[in-house]
Parts: sequence; structure tokens; C-alpha cells
Amino acid sequence: MSPLVLFHLAALLLLALGLYGLTSRRSLVGMLISVELMLNGAGLALVASARLTPASDELGQLGTLLVMGLAAAEATLVLAMVLVTAKRWGTSDSDRLSMLKG
Amino acid sequence: MEQLAYAAYGFYLVLILAGGWAAVRCRNLVRALLGLIMTLFGVAGMYFLMAAPFMALMQILIYVGAVSVLIFFAIMLTRAPGGAAGEEDREPRSALRTVLALLSGVLPAAILAGVILTRHPQELPLKPELPLGRLGEFLTGPYVLAFELISVVLLAAMAGAVVLGFERRKGA
Repeated sequence: MSPLVLFHLAALLLLALGLYGLTSRRSLVGMLISVELMLNGAGLALVASARLTPASDELGQLGTLLVMGLAAAEATLVLAMVLVTAKRWGTSDSDRLSMLKG
Repeated sequence: MEQLAYAAYGFYLVLILAGGWAAVRCRNLVRALLGLIMTLFGVAGMYFLMAAPFMALMQILIYVGAVSVLIFFAIMLTRAPGGAAGEEDREPRSALRTVLALLSGVLPAAILAGVILTRHPQELPLKPELPLGRLGEFLTGPYVLAFELISVVLLAAMAGAVVLGFERRKGA
């Protein structure tokens, strides 16, 4: 197999692990960890494509850098939301958070 | 030399696989976080392998340095009353749930893997390493809008997190 295919398969592995974790985890923090796994897979695929195909190298690497920045912003917001959830309902278990109320 | 590269790839793949498995399976969230960090280092190694050292260092700096510390805060600040920090519920997971979750993870990846294995884009040998200055020129030239926007997004996210953190319950 060519290097590009190998790197893309590694990225797919991260996607599969992340999706599995996102659907099987109960706690919100565990789900956040799975989302980070998937974002990493996306970055890996982007950089591999930029480095090993005629696509623009700069575009791929800077795109991945922006994905990392967005992941940091997302983690900050999710941290605050999980804290508010845990404070209000005393749990961060997604199965128990079933009430919709303003 | 090429054999060495494949060996390094295999090593990083094992790091990613073992870390990722720990990240999604460990009941203790601190161990899951350690698995995530292991995976992040594996991905950083792959960036080094494809001669993108800047991305590898950014990966370690942003993900291992910042995001995992944030997740650690989230774990430690959400402990259930009476329970140890970072433990998920002791109730056994139902087998059906695990099977469905496995299916939802493997199925999209399998479809994409089929596409990757059957359709080959034009592939070049590894390009020479991109000098850091070139990345900087692109970031302040054609992509200056994205560069500025991401800082605005980060600022908005931080401000939103602070506002959420100061939230008081109505009537409390």
C-alpha cells in the first residue's frame, strides 16, 4: 500500500474509534474525549493529503492548524457547559439528562 | 531507510490504536484521558514521519499542552457527590448498546475505507519540507481573514465560557 493510503487508514481508524466512543460513552467528558479523537483523525487526513498529493501544501497544513484552534475553542466551551450541567443536575451522565426545560 | 519508515509508522499506529482503545473503553476517565494523550503523541509522530515538524509541534503544544489539561479540569470538577472523581457509572453496559455503538463506528469507516482503497488519487513522493517562513507568509497573506477570524472565535469561546461559569440559577 502507498504511504497516502496508509496515513488515510490511520485517520479512518481514529474516526471509527471516535464514533464508537461517542455513541457508547455515558459521561459528557468521555464524549468530549471521543470528539477530540475524531478531530485528530481529520487533521491527520488533511496533512497527509497536503503532503502526498498535488494539493497545496500550505493550505492543508494551515487548515489543520485552524482545526486545532477550533478544537481548543470547542473544548473550552464544552468544559463550561459540562460544569453548568453538573452544577444544575448533579450529574454529567448523558442518560440521566433527559429533561427539556428552560 | 524505507523499511525504517514503515517500522516507525507501525510503532505510531500501535500507539494510536492502544491509546484510542483506552480512550473509548476505560471506565476511569483519567485513564481514558491518558489514552487520548498517547494517541495525540502517536499522531504527532505521524506528522514528523510525513516531514511536517511544525504540525507535530503544534499538535503537542495545543492538544497535549492545552486541550488535555482542559479535559482534566472537566473530569476533576464534575465528580458525582460521594463518588470518586472521573468514574463512570458502575451499571454494566448492555450488550446491545455496545454492538450498536461498534456498528455506528465501524460502518462509516468501512465505507470510507472502501472508497480509499478503490479510488487512487494522483500520488507524489513526499514533497520537501515546507519552510516555516512560507507558512507564515500564507497565514498573513492569502489567509489573513481566516487567521483573524479564528482569534475572534477563540475570544468568543473564552468569553462564553466565562459567562457560563458565572451563571446563577434563577431564584437560587
